[in-house]
Amino acid sequence: MAENLWLTLLLVLPFAGALILCGFCGQGRGRAMYLTADLLAAAEFALALFFAVPVLCGGGYTCRIKELCGFGLSFELDGFRAVWLIILSFMWLTAVVFSKEYMEHHRHVLRYYCFTFLTLGATAGVFLSADLLTTFLFFELMSFTSYVWVAQEETKGALRAAETYLAVAVLGGLVMLMGLFLLYHLTGTLALDGLREACAAVQERGMLLAAGILMLFGFGAKAGMFPLHIWLPKAHPVAPAPASALLSGVLTKAGIFGVILLSGNIMHQEKEFGWLVLFLGAATMLHGAVLGVFSVDLKRTLACSSVSQIGFILVGLGMVNLTGGNALAVNGAFLHAVNHSLIKLVLFLLAGVVYCRLHSLDLTQICGFGRKKPFFLAVFLCGAFAVAGMPLFSGYISKTLLHEAIVEGGELFAGSAGVLLSVTEWVFLVSGGLTAAYMLKLFTVLFLDEPSERVKKCTRNYLSMPVRLLLAVPAGFLLLAGLLPDRILLPAAEQASAFFGAAGAVHGAGAPHWFSMENLSGAGISIGIGIFVYFTVVRQWLRKRDGQETVYVNRLPAWYDLEESVYRPLFLRLLPFLLAGACRLAESVVEKTAWFLSGPLLAAVCRLADKLVAGIVWLISGTMLSEKKPREHLHGAGRIAYCAGRVMDDLVLLLNRTVRRKRPIQKSFVHIFAVGGRRTRRTAGLVARSVSYGLMLAGIGLVITMLYLLLG
Amino acid sequence: MSKYIILLPIVFPILMGALLPLFRFRSRKARNIYVELVTALTSILAVWMIFHRPSEDFIVLNLAGELAVMLHIDGLGMVFGALISVLWPFAALYAFEYMEREEKDNAFFSFYTMTFGVTLGIAYAGNLMTMYMFYELLTLVTLPLVMHGMGKTAVAAGKKYMTYSIGGAAFAFIGFIFVYRLGDTMNFTFGGVFGSAAVAGKENLLRAVYVLAVLGFGVKAAIFPFHAWLPSAAVAPTPVTALLHAVAVVKSGAFAIIRITYYSYGTGLLEGSFAQKIVLGLAAVTILYGSVRAVREPHLKRRLAYSTISNLSYIVFGAALMTPAGMRGGMLHLAAHAFVKIVLFYCAGAILHRSGLEYVRDMDGLGKKMPFVTACFFAAGLGLIGLPPMSGFISKWNIGTAGIAQGSGPAVFGVIAVLISALLTAVYIFGFLIRACFPAADGKLPDASGRTAPSDPSWRMKLPMAVLTAMVLLIGFFAEPISEFLTRVANGQI
Repeated sequence: MAENLWLTLLLVLPFAGALILCGFCGQGRGRAMYLTADLLAAAEFALALFFAVPVLCGGGYTCRIKELCGFGLSFELDGFRAVWLIILSFMWLTAVVFSKEYMEHHRHVLRYYCFTFLTLGATAGVFLSADLLTTFLFFELMSFTSYVWVAQEETKGALRAAETYLAVAVLGGLVMLMGLFLLYHLTGTLALDGLREACAAVQERGMLLAAGILMLFGFGAKAGMFPLHIWLPKAHPVAPAPASALLSGVLTKAGIFGVILLSGNIMHQEKEFGWLVLFLGAATMLHGAVLGVFSVDLKRTLACSSVSQIGFILVGLGMVNLTGGNALAVNGAFLHAVNHSLIKLVLFLLAGVVYCRLHSLDLTQICGFGRKKPFFLAVFLCGAFAVAGMPLFSGYISKTLLHEAIVEGGELFAGSAGVLLSVTEWVFLVSGGLTAAYMLKLFTVLFLDEPSERVKKCTRNYLSMPVRLLLAVPAGFLLLAGLLPDRILLPAAEQASAFFGAAGAVHGAGAPHWFSMENLSGAGISIGIGIFVYFTVVRQWLRKRDGQETVYVNRLPAWYDLEESVYRPLFLRLLPFLLAGACRLAESVVEKTAWFLSGPLLAAVCRLADKLVAGIVWLISGTMLSEKKPREHLHGAGRIAYCAGRVMDDLVLLLNRTVRRKRPIQKSFVHIFAVGGRRTRRTAGLVARSVSYGLMLAGIGLVITMLYLLLG
Repeated sequence: MSKYIILLPIVFPILMGALLPLFRFRSRKARNIYVELVTALTSILAVWMIFHRPSEDFIVLNLAGELAVMLHIDGLGMVFGALISVLWPFAALYAFEYMEREEKDNAFFSFYTMTFGVTLGIAYAGNLMTMYMFYELLTLVTLPLVMHGMGKTAVAAGKKYMTYSIGGAAFAFIGFIFVYRLGDTMNFTFGGVFGSAAVAGKENLLRAVYVLAVLGFGVKAAIFPFHAWLPSAAVAPTPVTALLHAVAVVKSGAFAIIRITYYSYGTGLLEGSFAQKIVLGLAAVTILYGSVRAVREPHLKRRLAYSTISNLSYIVFGAALMTPAGMRGGMLHLAAHAFVKIVLFYCAGAILHRSGLEYVRDMDGLGKKMPFVTACFFAAGLGLIGLPPMSGFISKWNIGTAGIAQGSGPAVFGVIAVLISALLTAVYIFGFLIRACFPAADGKLPDASGRTAPSDPSWRMKLPMAVLTAMVLLIGFFAEPISEFLTRVANGQI
């Protein structure tokens, strides 16, 4: 590994690019902005190639800047990171070029471009990071900058989705930080290259497991792991299509990057962790696929598909941990991540094309859009076949590897663990089937159904030349990689395997017979299930004929939404209620205790003193400074004053009737007492509220101290 | 060079502030120039003293026996002194524009300048007696500032502030007496002053007294049961809330707690005892309490005040961990939070000043009208949340790792509290930011219900905000030298 400070250029370029865009391309200079953005993205791609290609041929770079950010930043470029660097910079280039068409009639384009480049820098930082603090730093940065993508349209739905996105990101980040605290305490280092050994040496395994689970929460939240996937199906439909492609293609993989670190390196001895990842992965896989089948929105379907595919990758990572680094699992998980990025790039950009022309993503509205568009058909088929795991496409290769990994893992475990793995295998096949089903649904909608009114009206040219070119490259790659897996995919996976564990930890043969009967039958079962589900469920239940038109209905019950029915009530109603209640309780407890602590005696003394002072004041004002007061009319007197006054009045009445018949007393004592009492109270209140009260309390404290000192 | 020069940064502003009403300035401008010159000169003096600090103690006057007023600059004093010296001239600059529309501004600036000297006195105090003296003075000198408006709420807030502070000082005084009676010396000594045999058998008593003293000083640091004066004091003019109730006054409380923990009572006596657990627990509760109340508070300035309550306890929590790492974390947060919070209050003040808006719910789309202010709020807000690599993150990281390393129950609870509080911080900061930057489509823009149509303020407000925001960012990016210096302070080497 060679030290190479220029590596930081990969991060500086996008951050500087965002500033350049902000500074020099103000409003009304659209063309300059588009051109600058394209050039910047191309420059980043070229730079990525410049650094990554030598690394892929062997070697690697490291880079450490000690002075920055208190703990120093460190970066590394090895085979795994080089592959991802190329993929992410290529995806950004495609997305940026496509954005020009997509964003043409949108507001706040400049803001969108700025944050696209900021996110590029942050994401590159995550993938290049060589210690967990650097990872965390860029990870958080990425979460915040990508918020703007989701909120870009500023509609109510977008803001709500963005709120969810931010909440999940912040929560995930903080839980991860807690995990980092624990991990740092246990190992004393966060540098990735020493972490595997440091973790192996940790004595407190329970604490390590806790740290791992906390960090899994953070990374999983970004990856879209069940039950933290809620932001994905909401954020994707509202974000601009190129941003969706990047969110789903790259940003979720930043989460996967962390899970790889956890399950392959940090927690590689904790089998419990492997099972956890496996089950969460299986749940994610199935849940996402079911949501995908029910979805009636093009981009939402793709988003659910992303959730599901992330589940496939997580299952692979669970197997990496359980088998201790089996090459099948390692290659499968890595290749599926790569494939999924490219597949989602293609499919989301196509969805963007649809939205550009029709301004709708509703499946009912976009029926038949793809008719008589051969290029559109070809690209869509490449993506769809790849994601459904059709033989001859790259998705088949990675899914076969994952399937083989589960099967081979099942042989390692006996008893209930083996049964669990075979259940996982079936969940895997069914999820694959559902994938085929929802892709078939999309295919029917776009290419077979009768064109809707909206589609008939739209006759414009639908794709510009540069976009065609950029779409053809990843689509072609999906096909080519599927045809020549041993030439293209496996060498890449070999480059990456070191990242999944120390050298030598990855074992086993990585390349099964691709087109053996056994493997083909796996894909066959999946696709069979898919076709069956399509014709039984989708055709019969989710699709209706309404006269000439085909209508897709949302049959998903409204309560079947984790966010709306669990998280939001929990976090927006219950928790604030409880917390605020606790605060109020604490306040009242403090008040009560303060009252009790001051003690009835102390309080009485204080009150007496108050009354004394007030009494003197009243006495003085009543005698020396007496003025003829006008009669005050009282609405109410104190009870005691009233009683005393009544008694006095009765006495006076008695006197008037007996002794003082000739000169009766005319005063009303009720009134006099009431006025006096009120005045005393007012003065007492003034004293109590005044500074002297505080001084008096302080004085009492001092007296107690003095007493102690005298006695001690 | 004379040793008396250490008096200068303390006496000069007090004197010039007290004399201010005597000069009959012909215009506000002349008065402003005078105030700015005095504060700038004091800052220069204070910073110069830090770089040329005298090695021996300087006894100003001897009251009786060991009760001497003594000045000495050590590591902790350097941190606090430098912090306020950087902030004060900017704060004065900001105050000029803000106070233009207020009355009695001469009296205001008089006390404002005097407070600078008193706060420096706390920073450079060499023994408990001197610190206590300046601490009491601080209450008196800032009271007119809180009550400046002289409206009903302002006077009520002033009384509350007074009652709380004096009551707290009485508690602190108990701690003071015990150090005087049982300690070897009144002077601040790293590691504590209870070395002699006289202490034997009275350890638990001393620990209990320490808790009382922390609670006493904790009144200014707004520890939970004694916090109520701070949100009420948000009624004061913004330069006061920003500088005094986010930095000078409240940080004096936190500073005093660090002082008595590490330099008077000493970690040897307290570590692992019930006293430490009580203080840690109270700090953790305050951290949560402040954040929860901030989330539910619709009034922007009061929201920030609650946030201050929460963040001050980060410092107290770090200090109460009683490890060098904890102390470093506490001091880092002392510095980081000062810059962040002062910017946030300036933004709230600028909004109030230019648009008259006080409640967050009215601030839809403010970002378009006041882009500069919103940008500053954004940067400082991220710092407060602790987004890496902002300064808030560095201090949180230090406090968190120190807490986990300390490992006792209240410490771990406190770390969890810090993280939950960070989440809540994100909620209340983004609650404002999202409203300001992404108004809902049907949301209304802020109307000109205030005195003027909302727009960015003039350079006198902008300059302090810009410089201090830049500081927020720079402290985060280049935390290494600061962190190294603080490590040496926390190990007692400076």
